[in-house]
Amino acid sequence: MKFHLIDCLSARTKHWAAAICAAVVAGCGGGGGGGGSESNSTAQAQDAEVTAYAQMMSVAPSSNDARRFLTQATFGPTDASAATVQQQGYRGWIDAQLALPANTGQHLTFFNARMAELRATNPTADRNSNFVIFSQWNSYLNNNDQLRQRMAFALSQIFVVSLADDCLNSQPQAVASYADMLTSQAFGSYRSLLESVARHPAMGCYLSHLKNRKEDLATGRQPDENFAREVMQLFSIGLHRLNTDGTPVRDGNGALIETYTSDDVKGLAKVFTGLSFNCTAFNSNCFWRGIDSPSATPPESIWTQPMRFYPAEHSTSEKRFLGITIPAGASNPDDSLRTALDTLANHPNVAPFISRQLIQRLVTSNPSPAYVQRVATTFKNSNGNLGEVAKAILLDREARVANYTSTSSGKLREPVLRLTALYRLAGAASQTGHFQISRWMQPTAHLGQVPYLSPSVFNFYRPGYVPPGTDIATQGLVAPEFQQLDESTLASYANFMQEAVDGGVGIYVAYPDNTNKPDVRPLYLSQTDTPLLAAAANSNAALVDHINERLMYGTMSEALRNTMLEELARITVSPTATPTQVLDAQRRKVRFALLLAAVSPDFLIQR
Amino acid sequence: MTKPSNLDRRLFLRQGVALTSALGVGAPLALQLATLSEAAAQSAPDYKAVVCLFMLGGNDAFNTVLPTDTDSWDAYQHTRGQTGGNIALLPAGTAPDTAAAASSPARYGGVRPITLGNAGGRGFAVHPLMNRTQSLVNSGRMSVLANVGPLIEPLTRVQYEQKARRQPARLFSHNDQQNIWQSFQPEGASRGWGGLMADAFASNNGNSMFTALSASGNSVWLSGRDVRQYQLGVQGATRIGNVWTNDNLRSALQRVVSAQAHGGHASMRHVMQKESGAIGQRSVVAESTLNGVLPPATDAAFGPDTRLAYTKVDGTSATNPVAQQLQVVARTIAARNGLGMRRQVFFVSLGGFDTHDSQNSRHADLMLRLDHALGYFNDMLQSLGMQDQVLTFTASEFGRSFTSNGDGTDHGWGGHQFVMGGGLTGGQLYGQMPTLVRRNTSNNSFDASTHQIASGVLIPTTSVDQLAYSVGRWMGVSDSHMMSVLPNLGNFNANTRQVFGA
Repeated sequence: MKFHLIDCLSARTKHWAAAICAAVVAGCGGGGGGGGSESNSTAQAQDAEVTAYAQMMSVAPSSNDARRFLTQATFGPTDASAATVQQQGYRGWIDAQLALPANTGQHLTFFNARMAELRATNPTADRNSNFVIFSQWNSYLNNNDQLRQRMAFALSQIFVVSLADDCLNSQPQAVASYADMLTSQAFGSYRSLLESVARHPAMGCYLSHLKNRKEDLATGRQPDENFAREVMQLFSIGLHRLNTDGTPVRDGNGALIETYTSDDVKGLAKVFTGLSFNCTAFNSNCFWRGIDSPSATPPESIWTQPMRFYPAEHSTSEKRFLGITIPAGASNPDDSLRTALDTLANHPNVAPFISRQLIQRLVTSNPSPAYVQRVATTFKNSNGNLGEVAKAILLDREARVANYTSTSSGKLREPVLRLTALYRLAGAASQTGHFQISRWMQPTAHLGQVPYLSPSVFNFYRPGYVPPGTDIATQGLVAPEFQQLDESTLASYANFMQEAVDGGVGIYVAYPDNTNKPDVRPLYLSQTDTPLLAAAANSNAALVDHINERLMYGTMSEALRNTMLEELARITVSPTATPTQVLDAQRRKVRFALLLAAVSPDFLIQR
Repeated sequence: MTKPSNLDRRLFLRQGVALTSALGVGAPLALQLATLSEAAAQSAPDYKAVVCLFMLGGNDAFNTVLPTDTDSWDAYQHTRGQTGGNIALLPAGTAPDTAAAASSPARYGGVRPITLGNAGGRGFAVHPLMNRTQSLVNSGRMSVLANVGPLIEPLTRVQYEQKARRQPARLFSHNDQQNIWQSFQPEGASRGWGGLMADAFASNNGNSMFTALSASGNSVWLSGRDVRQYQLGVQGATRIGNVWTNDNLRSALQRVVSAQAHGGHASMRHVMQKESGAIGQRSVVAESTLNGVLPPATDAAFGPDTRLAYTKVDGTSATNPVAQQLQVVARTIAARNGLGMRRQVFFVSLGGFDTHDSQNSRHADLMLRLDHALGYFNDMLQSLGMQDQVLTFTASEFGRSFTSNGDGTDHGWGGHQFVMGGGLTGGQLYGQMPTLVRRNTSNNSFDASTHQIASGVLIPTTSVDQLAYSVGRWMGVSDSHMMSVLPNLGNFNANTRQVFGA
């Protein structure tokens, strides 16, 4: 206790340290009441974490610490971004990222530009959903607003829409617009984001509340319940009641308490009736076709502008849900929607439900209840400000203090983040400038995840996924990303990465040397003086160290290091080798070292 | 019953492919593989396999298998055939109107009649596009299991509405009902009934690793106490390092993926690193074993590749993803002797069944895929002479609403499934097919029915436990073992537990 106070006093030169001191005192007071040895040791571990946190936050981040932070906050550290974090500190870097203006419309602009090029030669060409995906990769790999992009990617896995759906695959500009919406609101309020999601035609198309009609007692037609159900289960409150720390509330028998019933779904479904395209009139043509004409082609903008209510198709019967009753005859559908979304956003489950999933996407699969509690409290106190939530997640001591003795902290990196980490380390160039990494997958060589191509609204994996028959399950832990990992996908991933380091990824395009190659290639394949090549030229050990620091922030195991050195030693260069042969050997070393790192458990698990 | 050698194999299974620990950390992969081959050398004359084809999203059973008795057909047309929400299929014998839009039932023509035994003379039909299914049923290769779904205990509409009896948790939720179908628990379960039953016979397999196989991603159904699922690629097992030809480099890659370089995955401390290494290890070992014994996909029993394509409504052809999965299942079954297998469970799936909208065209395409896949699988098994030793059943997390929401249907509960092969007498109705009733227009309910609740959703009349018990009996799993696997079975009258099989 005294020890902590002394630390706090010595650290008081910066204002944030004072806040931590207050937390330390409160924490120690709460934990000081005795109890079993287990709770004592937990309290001691927490004390150690608090101490380590105060110490690390009082000095400039080390290179490794900066890169570990950037692994959580971005699509992978670069030398430049790591230097910035070291200079600005974690908080300074986050504040600078939060202050960057949102690049609104990046994905739709990109989509429209590619379509214009395509239709310049083929006026009737179909809309190409790959253009949505290229634009994601482009922003992940190249944008400076990395925290915003990373949050948008996380949000795209909670508020899921997918190009795997026929409706959206034929209207991909809706998804480009939806991605822009998530990006521009990634630091905004949860409540406004929820409304933007509910009203976006991409979501209306995906969860079928676009053109959703009120009930008809004469024919027995019922409102479509799809969005009403999933907005509760997946986008706001979840299935059962939660404490602020994310643990379930239990009844007297120890059972979970469900948050809603089938009747709540039916009541809420009526709120989402009457929604359809933004249009010039409120008639049937506009409702069904998005244009006030029985035959004219509707404008593209109907897929990018918020849906609006058509009163004639909106249910005016009584709507009961979650203890709220909107009386029969309520004449303003927008008011009903506001009431419904306010009810959801104000539900005590939202803060822990959303906070925990964002922690899982950025930092760790199994955050402690205390960590969830701290972030959820920020969520509540900031009125659901997602920028503040991101900051709370990343500055939390459980995120910042690396615990490499823990046998479970961290997470399996998602496939998308594995590729971006590798290419941001190596630097990657697109021959066309459009980063044409497509959705196409070979069965025996594929990454295993494509942005905005989830198989269903339940995302690529579930936040509660437990890999059966593993120590992870035995220890009562979850590991969402393991839902995607199996004997087949891991092998395909390894083979995909082999192509990624060997020759690049993406659609084959013409290069100036009259060959066709993948559009996106790591720089060491085309340039002669990249940092990776320089490290390889220096020594095998220098190359391994370079990768260890930049890809794994110094966590590479001795075993992996030794294996890499053994294998690199096989690549020999004759003393009489030409410069070209020397460069070729360096490239082979870089390729092989990167590949071994990329498939290693050391890299796959982000700790 | 349990022999000492079985205990050894159990241990082996429990650790995943923990050959590293048995042979020493530094043992080369080749030596480990030799051990596997030795195990595989036992021949397996007595062979049975179960295949679960899971329809993800909740199949609209009302438009898949239709009771055509007068009352049911009237109720069906009355409920689903309304203007402004028409999702009613047309009567048998109606010619398809090829000029009609894909969104119109007229495009598909009339339902296809099937004759079912044990049905009290009632008439039945399948979706108009289920050509192969119709003939498989009528030729005695396939039966219908009516209105099956999760139950804790028998339940009627009145009991449900009065909450007089227990109900499954989290009804109508996709992910949870998928898990409950497979494991009797909501999301987060780590053992399913396919794997738990496989525990009982895995020790008789020469190559236990291939006891429970998925061709469509991780499925909790396949995980038992000892048995772990192995994931097949649709082209077989994918080899790590299939691009480079340098053996040294490939070997290094495999050693790192499998954590051999780290002293073996079992020695790793972090549970997730350990698991990624374990998956890598199984991937490497299984690939070396499987690709030596899997017959090529071009063999007459499986190929040519054009057989993987189905013909869509518009006449174009497209690859059928579930047919691809069933092809690698059939190839694996063909390799049973080389692998020394006696009992296997397989999992395949087809997605897209959540037809809240555009139901007519979407569901039609799905029925084409299902029909094509079942027909193709039956053809392959017949070519292999294995049609009576492989039992295939369909499943789906729930059926759907009887009512229309305009152009689709919402989440339901009970649904009808198909059971194919296994040497069973086909062309039967298993379980009970409730007679459908008209909606009461005065209160908008289906209160004339014993089993239709709001929106006409069916409460199951056969539980997943009863389906699982019947599958287990067919496989030869003991009753005592099954009582430990099927938590609700004891709630069903002993003489109703088995819904098909001897």
